[in-house]
Amino acid sequence: MFVGSRLSTVLLVLAAMIVLWYVATTITGLVGPARLPQPLEVWQSFVAIATDGYGNGRLHQHVLHSLKLVAMGFTVAVCVGVPLGLWMGHSRRAEALINPTFLLLRPIPPLAWIPLAIVWLGLGDAAKILVIFVAAFVPSVINSYTGVRNIDKPVLEAARMLGIRRFSFVREVLVPGSLPMIFTGLRLSLQASWTTLVAAELIGALYGLGSILNQAAQDIYPAMIMVAMIFVGICGATTTWLLGQVEARAMPWRHERALQ
Amino acid sequence: MSAIEFKDVCRTFRRDGKDLLILDRINLTVADKEFVAIVGPSGCGKTTCMRMAAGLEFPSTGTVSVSGKQVIEPGPDRAVVFQQFALFPWKSVHENIDFGLRAKGLPETERQKIIAHYIGLMNLKGYESAFPHQLSGGMQQRVAIARAYALDPEALLMDEPFGALDAQTRVVMQEELVKLARKNPRTVLFITHAVEEAVYLADRVVIMTSRPGKVKEILDIKSVRETENWDQHQKIEDVMDLASFVHLRSRIWKSLREEHAGDH
Ligand SMILES: Nc1ncnc2c1ncn2[C@@H]1O[C@H](COP(=O)(O)OP(=O)(O)O)[C@@H](O)[C@H]1O
Ligand SMILES: [Mg+2]
Repeated sequence: MFVGSRLSTVLLVLAAMIVLWYVATTITGLVGPARLPQPLEVWQSFVAIATDGYGNGRLHQHVLHSLKLVAMGFTVAVCVGVPLGLWMGHSRRAEALINPTFLLLRPIPPLAWIPLAIVWLGLGDAAKILVIFVAAFVPSVINSYTGVRNIDKPVLEAARMLGIRRFSFVREVLVPGSLPMIFTGLRLSLQASWTTLVAAELIGALYGLGSILNQAAQDIYPAMIMVAMIFVGICGATTTWLLGQVEARAMPWRHERALQ
Repeated sequence: MSAIEFKDVCRTFRRDGKDLLILDRINLTVADKEFVAIVGPSGCGKTTCMRMAAGLEFPSTGTVSVSGKQVIEPGPDRAVVFQQFALFPWKSVHENIDFGLRAKGLPETERQKIIAHYIGLMNLKGYESAFPHQLSGGMQQRVAIARAYALDPEALLMDEPFGALDAQTRVVMQEELVKLARKNPRTVLFITHAVEEAVYLADRVVIMTSRPGKVKEILDIKSVRETENWDQHQKIEDVMDLASFVHLRSRIWKSLREEHAGDH
């Protein structure tokens, strides 16, 4: 019921935007075709790239390629970043050891790593994955670290009092206690992954949504630019939604309603 | 053998670059299966005393021991009930109680038996799979008490366990704790600043001075309670109306009032 009404709101807003777009470009011509393509053109471009392909491949190949890069960069960043953040939050010594380096690396925008990544790894996928990794890594670490620090002190003391041993402490107290912040970090990491993916693919990529953007800009093909942008949006929204589903299942205690 | 023993315990904390004496030569023993309540003005170091028995805090000089062993770290032999409950929000009622039992390495069947016993005793039936945030404050504290009792500890340490509850819930919890304590006598160190609560629950009441906290006097409640047969009354208000109760309560009140007067 609730989900249904929210979905219909989203669809309604989308439909209204398309109507507005249609009115502004096709019916009234208020916005000229050089600035914004008409809905029909965009649809035709979509059909063209989906069936015949554009820029070295068909749409699904580009989408899958981008998804693969994001998945790899994001996964590696999370698998390294979350444990590192948890460790830094738990151990003062780890914090003292790692934090200075981290503070120095943090202000460097992920895109500033692109030249170095190209020098190290060339123009292929590996360089792009590295840049996505760097972008996704930082929010994972920081939020996991904050998550540990935010665990209620009496709860930690209760765990010690109950006689918890080291391993189960990590699994049963440290991780679940930090989980809300860990997921905040994952969401930010995912966002950063998509942002950097497109930027990384703008340079010397054969496949991917960013490469379509690049190619279409060179061809002065605004309708195709819009198709690529729309698909970046769809991919980002879908993966974020998936992460939300994982989050709800990982933390059932946050979603159970009050009794009575 | 005395279960909890404070021997010449002093504690200083550093504040604004100065060492501030908080507890001054505390000598106190709690006998086996005895229920001792500590009352005192706020800031006199009651919580610090309890935390030292728990192993969450340490004396600057002197020693704290439980069952003859000096306290060096927290452990399940000294179960703590915190004022803010300190339940694991990500664990159900059942899992919260089970946590300490698993850490102790008890076999599954025995754990289930113990959990069922305390779920029943603390009126938590039907709520086994609920998460803490789904429960009222009073129920959460009952889970925390069940979790502590289930450990079968040598000493129970409670720091104003009912301080965060509303007045009605508090009364119910006090009555339940009395029933539990009489049915299931344990060594209890109970911190409170509510005088009635101390007199109603405890075998002995320790009155502390304002900072630096010292043991001012110790009153024997148990002998009065037994000769006047307080436990025949089910309700706390009936006990509180008894002349013997009123007498003890005002004695403690007066003693505490002197401490507040000496504050400034
Ligand atoms: N870890 C600490 N560091 C500095 N001062 C502390 C610390 N713990 C307690 N104190 C101080 O010790 C005094 C006694 O505190 P506490 O034991 O909590 O008193 P009570 O429980 O009787 O109100 C207070 O003035 C408090 O500020
Ligand atoms: Mg206190």
